[in-house]
Amino acid sequence: MKKIARRSVEHWTNSDVFLSDIDFLVIGGGLVGAASAWHLASAGTKVWLCEQASPGHGASGQNAGSLHFQIERRFLEREDGVGREGEQTAQLSRLAVQDWRDLERQIGRNLGVHMEGGLMVAHSAQEVRLLETKAAREQAMGLAVETIDRAQVQALAPYLSPDILAANFMADEGHADARIIAPAFADAAQSAGARLLDATRVASLQKRGALFEARLEKGEEIQTVTAAKVLICAGIWSPQIAAMAGLHLPLFPAPLTMNATARTAAFLPYLIQHVGRRLSIKQTAAGNLLIGGGWPSRLHRTGSGFDFSRAPALVPQSLTGNLQTAVETMPVIGEHELLRSWTGITAVTQDQLPVAGEFPSLPGLFCAAGGSAFTLGPTFARLVADQMLERRRDEADALLSVASPARFESLNGFMGR
Amino acid sequence: MTDNAETSYDVLIVGGGPAGQAAALELAAVGARCAVIDEQARPGGQILRQPPVSFAAQNWVDENSYRPLRQQLRVFENQAAIAWLGRRSVIGLQPGPQGHSLTTSGADGLQELSAAHVLIAAGCYDMPYPAPGWTLPGAMGAGAMQTLLKAQGIVTGEPIVFAGTHPLMLLIAAQISRAGGKVAEVAFDRSLATIGKSMIRHCATALRNGSLLGEAGKAMMDLRRAGVPVRFGRPLQEITGADRVTGAVFGEADHPETTPCGSIGLCYGFLPQSDLPRQAGLSVRWSSPSGGWATCHDQWMQSSVEGVWVAGETTGVAGAPIARDEGRIAGLGIAAALGLITNRDATRRAAPFRQSRKAAMRFAAMLDDIAAPKQALDRVAASNTTICRCEKVSASAVRETLGSTTDVNAVKRITRCGMGLCQGRNCEHMLIRMSAAAEGRGLETMKGFTGRFPARPVSIADLLEKPLP
Ligand SMILES: Cc1cc2nc3c(=O)[nH]c(=O)nc-3n(C[C@H](O)[C@H](O)[C@H](O)COP(=O)(O)OP(=O)(O)OC[C@H]3O[C@@H](n4cnc5c(N)ncnc54)[C@H](O)[C@@H]3O)c2cc1C
Ligand SMILES: Cc1cc2nc3c(=O)[nH]c(=O)nc-3n(C[C@H](O)[C@H](O)[C@H](O)COP(=O)(O)OP(=O)(O)OC[C@H]3O[C@@H](n4cnc5c(N)ncnc54)[C@H](O)[C@@H]3O)c2cc1C
Repeated sequence: MKKIARRSVEHWTNSDVFLSDIDFLVIGGGLVGAASAWHLASAGTKVWLCEQASPGHGASGQNAGSLHFQIERRFLEREDGVGREGEQTAQLSRLAVQDWRDLERQIGRNLGVHMEGGLMVAHSAQEVRLLETKAAREQAMGLAVETIDRAQVQALAPYLSPDILAANFMADEGHADARIIAPAFADAAQSAGARLLDATRVASLQKRGALFEARLEKGEEIQTVTAAKVLICAGIWSPQIAAMAGLHLPLFPAPLTMNATARTAAFLPYLIQHVGRRLSIKQTAAGNLLIGGGWPSRLHRTGSGFDFSRAPALVPQSLTGNLQTAVETMPVIGEHELLRSWTGITAVTQDQLPVAGEFPSLPGLFCAAGGSAFTLGPTFARLVADQMLERRRDEADALLSVASPARFESLNGFMGR
Repeated sequence: MTDNAETSYDVLIVGGGPAGQAAALELAAVGARCAVIDEQARPGGQILRQPPVSFAAQNWVDENSYRPLRQQLRVFENQAAIAWLGRRSVIGLQPGPQGHSLTTSGADGLQELSAAHVLIAAGCYDMPYPAPGWTLPGAMGAGAMQTLLKAQGIVTGEPIVFAGTHPLMLLIAAQISRAGGKVAEVAFDRSLATIGKSMIRHCATALRNGSLLGEAGKAMMDLRRAGVPVRFGRPLQEITGADRVTGAVFGEADHPETTPCGSIGLCYGFLPQSDLPRQAGLSVRWSSPSGGWATCHDQWMQSSVEGVWVAGETTGVAGAPIARDEGRIAGLGIAAALGLITNRDATRRAAPFRQSRKAAMRFAAMLDDIAAPKQALDRVAASNTTICRCEKVSASAVRETLGSTTDVNAVKRITRCGMGLCQGRNCEHMLIRMSAAAEGRGLETMKGFTGRFPARPVSIADLLEKPLP
């Protein structure tokens, strides 16, 4: 490997750690990694973005692309779901709305962002009560969500089922194009001076003195690089990378299902979700209807664990359950053809909250993974980059406190190094 | 064969062509309960595609070399122990340790079928050749033209031009000419000298398969007699026309020659059907030189997944006699796995089929060599033609994206190439070739699109648990 001339990074640290090849190593070329690399490189630092396949290979290229800022159904299912954690997540959502509104302009690339509003609908009286409680909480948290009744729902979206009794409407919701987002950010990061190493896998990571040393493998080619700080944003693979550095990162793979119809003329400007059932529906710019909402698929297994190299197997009950829910919400879906069902794996924590921040037991090592990191991904990337750059650090720390890996110190306290 | 409404069998066979029939006959003979599922209403596969019963077809596929296949078809149709599930597409295959399940889609909706053993004998399809103008109405695969003739007695817009590398177009052109269709020209991409060299390389094989070559020779004579020119060294440059095909442009860019025509049959080879094998996660390999994904198998035609078997052109395009031999071998292998015959018996009975398969393989290799489409495909890869017709993605848009990534699934995500209604059947082979070339990699090391459910687009109303209101 060529030694790269070291450059000055005084603005983020005053220590004497300056013998690294690069300032930052970002591991994982999903939305979070590519966007982080873009922020870091834009600050004038030397950044490598290392991706085992190509940008968008993981969840970032497989997801539904929903920009959902209302409190998620999965949080409502939990008793304290709209408590302190909900509050903090809502704060991040508010920031994410601002971030998404300006993202295409900032990076100078099309991301297929459509923010024309989202409806979370209810079929039963009990669900309507849930909507009302939720909207009240959201308004208190500064999210512009209103409850509309059946007639208003029909006026806004006549293609929704007349059985829908009410909906929460939020004008900021929408969707962006998951197909192109990670490659677009990776491209922007490169224009800002980051180096993209694709088809390159991080094979080991350890702290040596004040620096991190990583072994990078591209086929037969192997190189070692030292970095002052490292960001793990490898999605479901993040626990493997943390383990290379001797740390626990309790993130679990959640295999999900998505469905796409053949193209049809544009008629649906909104994101549609359901307050009591797993559902998301949107129409892409190309015209396909995307139908998802968190229905499970089945992970393949190896002798010793789960096999991430294979697409999870489709579960027939998820397929029909998801489509049934979609048709009950929007009957016109029944008239369309299913073109493709696919499966993808996202990363979740036991408490359903994302992980973003620095590991207290290994300073210089950061992580950003888990949670709805499409909607919140650009915001995680911006805030973690701020932390790494020691730029408005207190503010970033406060905003990400709910997601901090400090909550795993109870586990990492046992890890000797 | 009988119509049947059971949902559980010993063996489910996808495809009622020469391979599927042969397997079903072996299995029925030893008492296995098997069903054959096909999209076509009647058995026959591609080569013996039958017209509807109500059509009185004269001289329907009367070539000599088809005699054994026609005979097998008659026996198959008269074998009452075989359930025939026609007019149904298999859209899903889920292997499971306790047996495999198939999802079929037909006029009366969806059906789930299960069996301990599944044989995929789904055949092949015309390799789409994206010459500029190939999306005009009237441009189609030569096999599709033949299908229209065999199944419906229809001749496409006249006069007809055939262009390609594969000698099968001689037979198809002669069939159409005999049926009264006017053929303007049959144009081989490669020169007679290059084709001759291939024949010399396989000289012994060519002599041994004199009768099959004779068939091609006879077709050529018939065409000559009908005044149809058969030309060599005529690379197709472009298909012209405003809203339908009106001409085919041949020759080098500096002196193009146009043959006026009403339709054009493109014949650059065939690709194995691989949607179900890939969806079910069976190991596949790139077939060279013709292209496409052939499913890997062991000596009994069992795939990499236990209880899922493959035969015929699903394993590589090699012609009907091999398809039939493979079907018989698979049938015997499954019969032994079911314990209906001993392994020894299976081995003994499979021996002659292995022998004839081996001999025919040499001929198939010669044909492959003669018909190699690489040069013709390289030419369109370097052009500005549309390669993904569903999503209208051009070769130049793909080339541009290949500058940043050569991962086929990433190029698909970025450009939408392969995301349309045909589910990638048209463009994947081109994209793989272009991507391999851009990276300087061998085709055999490439990965294709991830196989997904459903293997054919399917109505959502059909898929639902409850009927729609
Ligand atoms: C089906 C589905 C639907 C979803 N829908 C939504 C939605 O509508 N809205 C929403 O907000 N979120 C949604 N999500 C979640 C969202 O997709 C993810 O949270 C987000 O994409 C995560 O991005 P990431 O960059 O953290 O991870 P990823 O996109 O998974 O990126 C991680 C990258 O790391 C690379 N990598 C792994 N190991 C290594 C290594 N050793 N060396 C180098 N590189 C490595 C991988 O190849 C991968 O590209 C959905 C997820 C799925 C699966
Ligand atoms: C259009 C066409 C025309 C051809 N014409 C000739 C010719 O004239 N002479 C010649 O020597 N060779 C011809 N061939 C080559 C010929 O296909 C083979 O030599 C031979 O028929 C292969 O036998 P098989 O049993 O492997 O497959 P096939 O005969 O192709 O049989 C496969 C069957 O499977 C069915 N099938 C496939 N997928 C599904 C699914 N998902 N669900 C339900 N059913 C399915 C198809 O409808 C088909 O009937 C032609 C090929 C094509 C594609």
